[in-house]
Amino acid sequence: MAINRRDFLRSSACALGSMALASSIDTFGVVHALTPQGATDYKALVCIFLNGGNDGNNMFVSLDQYNGPAGSPVEGYSNVRAASGLAIAQASLLPVSPASGGSYGFHPNMPEMQNLFNQGKLAVLCNNGPLVEPLTRTTYQNGTGKKPLQLFSHSDQVGLFQTAVANTVSQTGWGGRVADRTQSLNGSATFPSNISIAGINLFLSGVDTRQLAVADSNTTLANVLQLNMSGTSSEQASRLASFNALRTLDNDFKLVKAASDTRSSSIQTDIALSSVNPTLATVFPNTSLGRQLKQVALLIKASTDPTAGINMKRQIFFTQIGGFDTHSAEVNGQGNLLTQVSQAISAFYAATVELGMQDKVTAFTMSDFGRTFQPAGSGLTTVGTDHAWGNHQLIVGGSVLGRTLYGAYPVLRLGGPDDTDGGSNPRGRWIPTSSVEQYAGTLATWYGLSTADLTAVFPLIGRFPSANLGFLA
Amino acid sequence: MKTSFPRCAVIGIALLLCVLSGSSLATADAATNKKPVLISQTTNTRAVAFESVTMKAEPFALTATVPAFGADPRTRICIFATDLELLPGEGANAFTSDVQDGTGKIYPLRVEYVGRVPNFPGITMIIVRLSDDLTAVGDVLLRLNLHGMSSNRVRVAIGHTGGGPADDPGAVATPAPVTPPAADLPLVPDPFTGPATEADTVRFLEQASWGPTPAEIARVKAMGFMAYLNEQFNLPTTNPAKGSNYPDLAFPLDDSSQQCPVSNPADPNYNQAVCVRDNYSMYPIHRTFFTNALYGNDQLRQRVAFALHQILVVSANSEVSRPSWMTPYLQALDRNALGNYRTLLNEITLTSAMGEYLDMRLSTRTNPNENFAREILQLFSIGTDVLNLDGTPQHDSQGNTIPTYSQNDVNEFTRVFTGWNFATAIGAGITNFRDPMVPRGGQNHDAGSKTLLNGFSIPACSSPNGTANIVCAQSDMNAVMTHLANHPNVGPFISKQLIQHLVTSNPSPAYVERVARVFNNDCSGLYPQGCTNVRGNLRLVVQAILLDPEARGDVKTDPNYGKLREPAQYITGFLRAFNPKSFDKTTTSDGTLGNRSSTDFTGSLDQPIYQPTTVFSYYQPSYEVPGTKILGPAFGILSTTTTLRRANNINTLVFNGVSANASPTPANPDRPRGTSIDFANLEALAGNPVDVVNALDALLLHGTMNPQMRTSIINTLNTINDATITTRNQKRARTAVYLVATSSQYDIQR
Repeated sequence: MAINRRDFLRSSACALGSMALASSIDTFGVVHALTPQGATDYKALVCIFLNGGNDGNNMFVSLDQYNGPAGSPVEGYSNVRAASGLAIAQASLLPVSPASGGSYGFHPNMPEMQNLFNQGKLAVLCNNGPLVEPLTRTTYQNGTGKKPLQLFSHSDQVGLFQTAVANTVSQTGWGGRVADRTQSLNGSATFPSNISIAGINLFLSGVDTRQLAVADSNTTLANVLQLNMSGTSSEQASRLASFNALRTLDNDFKLVKAASDTRSSSIQTDIALSSVNPTLATVFPNTSLGRQLKQVALLIKASTDPTAGINMKRQIFFTQIGGFDTHSAEVNGQGNLLTQVSQAISAFYAATVELGMQDKVTAFTMSDFGRTFQPAGSGLTTVGTDHAWGNHQLIVGGSVLGRTLYGAYPVLRLGGPDDTDGGSNPRGRWIPTSSVEQYAGTLATWYGLSTADLTAVFPLIGRFPSANLGFLA
Repeated sequence: MKTSFPRCAVIGIALLLCVLSGSSLATADAATNKKPVLISQTTNTRAVAFESVTMKAEPFALTATVPAFGADPRTRICIFATDLELLPGEGANAFTSDVQDGTGKIYPLRVEYVGRVPNFPGITMIIVRLSDDLTAVGDVLLRLNLHGMSSNRVRVAIGHTGGGPADDPGAVATPAPVTPPAADLPLVPDPFTGPATEADTVRFLEQASWGPTPAEIARVKAMGFMAYLNEQFNLPTTNPAKGSNYPDLAFPLDDSSQQCPVSNPADPNYNQAVCVRDNYSMYPIHRTFFTNALYGNDQLRQRVAFALHQILVVSANSEVSRPSWMTPYLQALDRNALGNYRTLLNEITLTSAMGEYLDMRLSTRTNPNENFAREILQLFSIGTDVLNLDGTPQHDSQGNTIPTYSQNDVNEFTRVFTGWNFATAIGAGITNFRDPMVPRGGQNHDAGSKTLLNGFSIPACSSPNGTANIVCAQSDMNAVMTHLANHPNVGPFISKQLIQHLVTSNPSPAYVERVARVFNNDCSGLYPQGCTNVRGNLRLVVQAILLDPEARGDVKTDPNYGKLREPAQYITGFLRAFNPKSFDKTTTSDGTLGNRSSTDFTGSLDQPIYQPTTVFSYYQPSYEVPGTKILGPAFGILSTTTTLRRANNINTLVFNGVSANASPTPANPDRPRGTSIDFANLEALAGNPVDVVNALDALLLHGTMNPQMRTSIINTLNTINDATITTRNQKRARTAVYLVATSSQYDIQR
């Protein structure tokens, strides 16, 4: 009774055809269909969003500042974090010696990151965050410097990182705007450039660009978008024709049209993916992030395999792992998450090596914000941290100029030169020394965004000393 | 409006209107369905329009030729309308406007002024500001919306004349009449004490319940909306001691391995999987949620409580993962959903579930934790921006929004909330998630003075130790609750979100303002029945939301109107429309939709009930639908993946049903009855597909089905011609239901 789904979709594609064409610009913003000359090489950006605000202070520790001045309650990693149970023992941190100087240690659950760092495939961007303009403790505290909107709030700071616009509420993400401006690089390919494995997000949403959202690798690509219909094949075909035709109607109502566009996108992509079946020898950890990054690797393989007919040249992916909002129980909570992050990123890098594309793919972390250097609460099972600002990010790939640090590691002192907080109880919220615009601009420039388009995508980037932080070749 | 704008010179308008003449204007429909009419030239759809300062006619430059609006040089134009039925005092913020260019792109225009034209009583002048992203595109079509009704579209030239979209189908010239019409009568609110129309009853029940059923449509249509609301306000709950439909659950040991060992020799019926399911999974609560939604009478309380859950969030997806731990929180939502906001805020704050979820129970004077303090400000009460009463943000002299609070304020609120913990354990190894939190005493509450918002402060407590510390924590809690509940942002902040959950994602500011006024004083609305001059009366807030002219009417034509049915509403609403029963149709559904061990139907649509990912809920009220410039909160979880799952869930329910199953044990199955729906009424009509489609149009789309949609479905039904008539009728009914229920037209409640 049931017919092959691929034949079924193909047979119905005619019914869909005229409607799909008419609405394609509204579905994925597939304007590049009009410009057949694309790029000759492939490049992908892969965002790994650490949702909730990763405590970078415990992910990547300055060993030079591990012990502050003896007896100081406010300076030095151990002095501030050990009494509450939050500090990681110095001996268990995984040491690295960056080319930029100094001694640092990765969280003990991240040996894979230490390894990639030492191979020169991983760089750490220190104390990065949303900024409207360069700020110092003085200009922050005396109010002469402009501050980003709604510092320290989850939803707003997720927005500031994903939009890379710190002085207004943007409804487009920087991944979406980069895709808007680089559509032509994909030539005549019509597959979505921006793909989320973690549901809808602001990061991938552009002015014209819409995002594809698919499930992780628990579902094969061929089945990742699947419309189920009951009945005989002729009943299904008749029903599907009407099902598709209804989406061409009532488009004057914006919300009706938006719902129709989303479904049309899904069905178009279902058709494109229904015959692909990429495989990878690399073993990924069976964690949510592992499965997400495996799906990204499979999509990269399918999108670049000449026999699959997709033939993309530029793609931006979004993955996410939650649980980093560790106001309490941080030691085990963040520790478990960092294990997952490290293992998944490592497997993903190995998969790009397997595909021979490690130089073509750059993965990078973002997170809501860093967390207060001063702990919240105390006791090994309860201690946590509150919302803060500047944070450390990881950039991984064959094109990364790794084994070094970018940006300045903060002075680990409550009320010190990098702390926003004054008063009697400063918590240690670092003022970023580079902006999200600079971080994103560096990634986007590598991806192929032209200098001319840089300020259109990152309107504030000219306020900072450099548009390129230099961590990509 | 706070600013007065230059008005088009009256004489000029009068002259121009006098030379225009034409046929009579469109006639008005029912009271709440009146459409504004924009005035055009005599023989075509070109607007009568002027640049507001210079009085020059089109084409309009993007920048005003004579600057008159301070730092904002953008051009304003005057247009003219008739047939406006305004509530007393209603002005510019009741209107929205947009223009569409020749490529189909739509630009919202801000309506800045609305006023009568002197000596032309029935004609209203409207000033709109050209949007910042509009360029010199030539002709555009301009529309005005009021109370969910859109006007005709008139043609306006931007930059140059010509080009632009074709006129709307059937568009005609709408010139001003030779004799100026009489003044528009003010809109007199319908008391809703008499019978209602069928279409508006369907719409009302979509907003006020988990979805219309044929029986409820007939009943509510006859009794009228005011009587229905009064009935709903006074319906009892199934757990009256708690004012809730959620039963009290037994509290298991914190350690699940002790509570649910592998086997229990003393109990021959013991099964570990059942023990874990009932004590440590959300299974019991999900069943209660869905069976109440499908069959409970107190529909309004349930809808409002679920909306409030999405504003004052505790999620069972992380620490508070046990059904008995969530229950007091859910009971507090039910108990106060139609009660008072301050009581709600206070009770939710003190639930042990909230104390655990946002860490307030860990926060002490020496180890303060900001988590709860920040979220109660940002999400549960006042939001991040200082608001006008109509919900729009206020701006400073540079045009920037104004933050409601600073990090320093968060620090001060954090101090207020220090020193609380769970009450005494229920028993050995059983943390007290049953009772509200209690002060810790000692010196755990920060007893110093605190400076809060808008100059309000809490003085230091005289003695900071021991019992006095407990008293201080309690008095501070009382003071901060009153402080927050009285903050001027709360009315618009909470009211707008409730409107978005129940009625429409993009309410006009005037609608928000009307409801916020009721929030601020329950006697100050259009429907003050039962008011006592109190603040935060959610019962009358909900009444104001549901009976507002922008909510009511048979049909809404504003292209921005409506909301995406969120998954919980989509699934329960669909089932309620078709007499949901057990899988074998002998009894009621068990409310277990899908597979408990992974995700049920709404979970697969990214709305796992009471388990949102974060305190920011399943989606955010500020979510803008990409490419539209309008809000669509539930679109935040409508992805290319979930859109197909919506259709696939309907396919399952229509063609297969959810079968009963015996897991985890035959004696105690997860889905003892399963779920199915009943199309007998539709099958009886299926000899004539037109009748089937008409019935579904009325039931699911309140009579708004597009003629082409109707034709498409009828044509499909006509291809179904099985020789056995009962088979044919069954297939026709199912096919028709599938097509309507999976349509985008049904996705959007409007």
